[in-house]
Amino acid sequence: MTSKTRIPIQLQINGHRHELKVEPRVTLLDALRDHLGLTGTKKGCDQGQCGACTVHIDGQRVLACLTLAAQAEGRAITSIEGLADGDGTLHAVQAAFLEQDAFQCGYCTPGQIMSAVACIREGHAGSDDEIREYMAGNLCRCGAYPHIVAAVRQAALEIASSMETAS
Amino acid sequence: MTVHDVRSRHGDSKRGDASDGAIFAEAVGGRLSRVDGPAKITGAAKYAVEQQIDGLSHAVLVESTIAAGKVRSIDTAAAESAPGVLLVLTPDNALRLNTATDWLGTPPPDIPYCPLAGDITFSGQHVAAVVAESFEQAVAAAALVKVAYDETTAIVDLDDPKAGDGIPIDTMTKEWGDAQAAFAAAPVRICAAYNTPREYQAPMEPHGLIAKWQGDRLTVWEPSQWLDGMARTYAEWFGVPFENVRLVSPFIGGGFGSKAFAYGYGAVAAMAAKMLGRPVKLVVTRPQTFTAYGGRAATRQTVALGANAEGRIQSIVHRGVNETSVDGMWVEPLGSVTSIMYATPNFSSRQNVVRVNTVVPGALRAPGENPSAFGIESAIDELAYEVGIDPLEIRLRNYAEQDPEAKKPWSTRQLREAFAAGAEAFGWSKRAPEPRSMRDGNQLIGWGVAAGTYPVRRAYGEAMVRILADGSVEVESSSIDMGQGTYTILAQTAAEVVGVPAEDVVVKLGDSRYARAGVTGGSRLAGVMTGAVHKAATAALDQLVGLAISDPNSPFHALQANTLVVANGRIASPRGDGPEVSIAELLGSVGRSQIEAMGDTMPANSTADDRYKNYTTIATALSHTEGDYSRHSWCAHFVEVRVDEDFGTVRVSRVVSGLDSGRLYNPKLAESQWKGGIIMGIGQALLEEGIVDRRHGRIVNNNLADYLIATNADIPDIEVISVGIPDPQSSALGGKGVGELGIVGVAPAIANAVFHATGKRVRDLPITLEKLI
Repeated sequence: MTSKTRIPIQLQINGHRHELKVEPRVTLLDALRDHLGLTGTKKGCDQGQCGACTVHIDGQRVLACLTLAAQAEGRAITSIEGLADGDGTLHAVQAAFLEQDAFQCGYCTPGQIMSAVACIREGHAGSDDEIREYMAGNLCRCGAYPHIVAAVRQAALEIASSMETAS
Repeated sequence: MTVHDVRSRHGDSKRGDASDGAIFAEAVGGRLSRVDGPAKITGAAKYAVEQQIDGLSHAVLVESTIAAGKVRSIDTAAAESAPGVLLVLTPDNALRLNTATDWLGTPPPDIPYCPLAGDITFSGQHVAAVVAESFEQAVAAAALVKVAYDETTAIVDLDDPKAGDGIPIDTMTKEWGDAQAAFAAAPVRICAAYNTPREYQAPMEPHGLIAKWQGDRLTVWEPSQWLDGMARTYAEWFGVPFENVRLVSPFIGGGFGSKAFAYGYGAVAAMAAKMLGRPVKLVVTRPQTFTAYGGRAATRQTVALGANAEGRIQSIVHRGVNETSVDGMWVEPLGSVTSIMYATPNFSSRQNVVRVNTVVPGALRAPGENPSAFGIESAIDELAYEVGIDPLEIRLRNYAEQDPEAKKPWSTRQLREAFAAGAEAFGWSKRAPEPRSMRDGNQLIGWGVAAGTYPVRRAYGEAMVRILADGSVEVESSSIDMGQGTYTILAQTAAEVVGVPAEDVVVKLGDSRYARAGVTGGSRLAGVMTGAVHKAATAALDQLVGLAISDPNSPFHALQANTLVVANGRIASPRGDGPEVSIAELLGSVGRSQIEAMGDTMPANSTADDRYKNYTTIATALSHTEGDYSRHSWCAHFVEVRVDEDFGTVRVSRVVSGLDSGRLYNPKLAESQWKGGIIMGIGQALLEEGIVDRRHGRIVNNNLADYLIATNADIPDIEVISVGIPDPQSSALGGKGVGELGIVGVAPAIANAVFHATGKRVRDLPITLEKLI
């Protein structure tokens, strides 16, 4: 590969700055997985249909397979690897997924969790029906859906009560 | 010989919920959360093709765009000169591979195998591949490969007039009594045809691999339901010893039957890696997952039931057809539930397969039982309305007290209990019998019931258990965890046997260098592997206690005990006198770095060849009717649907299922698997259908937006009730199959509910709105 086909980009991922040289056509998903070794973000379809590659860009849930790496330059990217605290304390959504057994094979799970964090933040976890609707973009072939709903419900309550305590 | 008790040290926080009674989470039968869960929720779990390998190159497949004919020529010039391209593979420059033994152990014909086709038998067949430095370069160059074809007429599907009646599969014939005569003489007769379309496994992780050669040794990182079987295939393809191939598959992103075999794309990647002398990664695209291996074959059944006026079945006449490929054979056993669910004095089932231009179909969750149950469980519902009795009552009236086909008693059959528990929780007694008699505004409400079953597939297994110097326990097996919970239940098994907390057990799976394992399919793994680990762990514990009693440096040496208690990682006398030391302290004092025990459940006189055959084929699997009993899991699904009267849209609003999988090794995880099967069944009933473009013999909805699987918004709360009892005839620890069972019977339960709601009987899946308006 000749260097002139590649462009230098800087990505801010999970609070760390990464510099890489990639072809302009490299997706954020492939940049994460193949260029930076951050394989927690999954490739399920590579065409924006399954949600397994969901990450946050500036706090919004985004499909990394439909985003070019270059588009994410200068923006704050959060992947599943950056969700727990620095000391390893799980995010409330992660802990709820484990407790509720909201996954089986685990392949859709990072995307489910990233979507769930955003779903709660968006204020779309007010009822089970609302959770089902706003989590419907993340497919799970193992069929963990009822447990995903339970986990999002539990985490939303925990996050709400911890925010009340904080305020 | 040894007493163990894991209950004393851990507090109530480790206790399961009230339904467990006294079982603590860490013991077998406890509700321990997945031990591999933390890796999966943090992104740390590295799946097969996520291994970071130096010098990796990337391969992309080129597929046929016709369904039948020949490749006339392939123009590779543009692709070869594209940036970064290392190799363009076609049949002309492909290595000559050997044909491999099939999964049944059939010796292969002595003909070369080429994973790239010149003769085209289905659309989407691999015809070429491009390998480049980067994934993007390979994708771009693959689009430059120009293939010219001489096209011939394809047989596109079972409905094609050219398809014909197919080939009778005599081994599927089951007959007793005089079914035709008894049907003709029966006072009540129903006969109808039931169809299921092509359906796809669609695991969230696409298939693929990284292949790396070092001399004549091949390492393959590939999601796999059967490491040893696939290693054998790779070894035979490339003519290297079995031991030279290492399969690595630490996590599997869903399989559902589709990841048990090495397929053509694997041969392509391994071949390219050998030709280039560097590792090659090939992941099939999502659209390619619809043709790189087969989904469930489309099926057709006719079910004729003859009964008396009370609805007692006198005769069942069943005929089935499934599609297979032009040059491969797949038999979807359509009479498998038909022949055992209900008592009947007269029975006949026969099956044909029909060759069409498709990829050879494959296993999808409960192959055979799933479509079979759609036929018989729809038909008996029709019979219930015909004679005017409750659909639950007719099932109880025809309850099979023994296996009607094998004429043997059931090992356990808690189906009556499943009906009772499900009906009670669902509120079935409040059902108004007439169709269209229950509604909520413009929604017609329907309640349906159907039963399901799956045979207990048994096999021999082996496992390595080590007690390490720090007192922890290590379990090794080349079996796998694709979400069923193998890591967890094997940790529970070893923890309970040795007497250590489950958190002190490390389970290592998914590497063919570990103790061998047969296929993870047919819901056999948990029973096989808990048995093998139980045996190996027991042997390791015996060694540990033996050392403690007999070694002159052991603190227990002077005690003259003939047994010791190991609990929570500590060793003591059962009487409470004498010392109490940790396992680590004991091993330190006797100067041992570890204790190691291999356990296997093979017959004692097994040869090395027997073992090889056992773990790399299914030739040695034990029949579910071997010996004195017939062994099956059972379930009953109760479903509520709401059908919009104007638009014909169907929503499943409630599911309650009673399930008998024998003893559950971990109810928390078993419940998840049951629900997963039920959810896949909801998708099968209402959404899933591979749509063939009949002009080109091509699956047109080969992606996850057009091949609809259930989403979160399609699924209601689901209640599952375990009614199983330990079944010692089925497995060492009393469990029966879990994974396949849940889906069996869901589609007919929904179809039956839709009939109750609307008065319309839909006999071909999926139940889409145009069939209701």
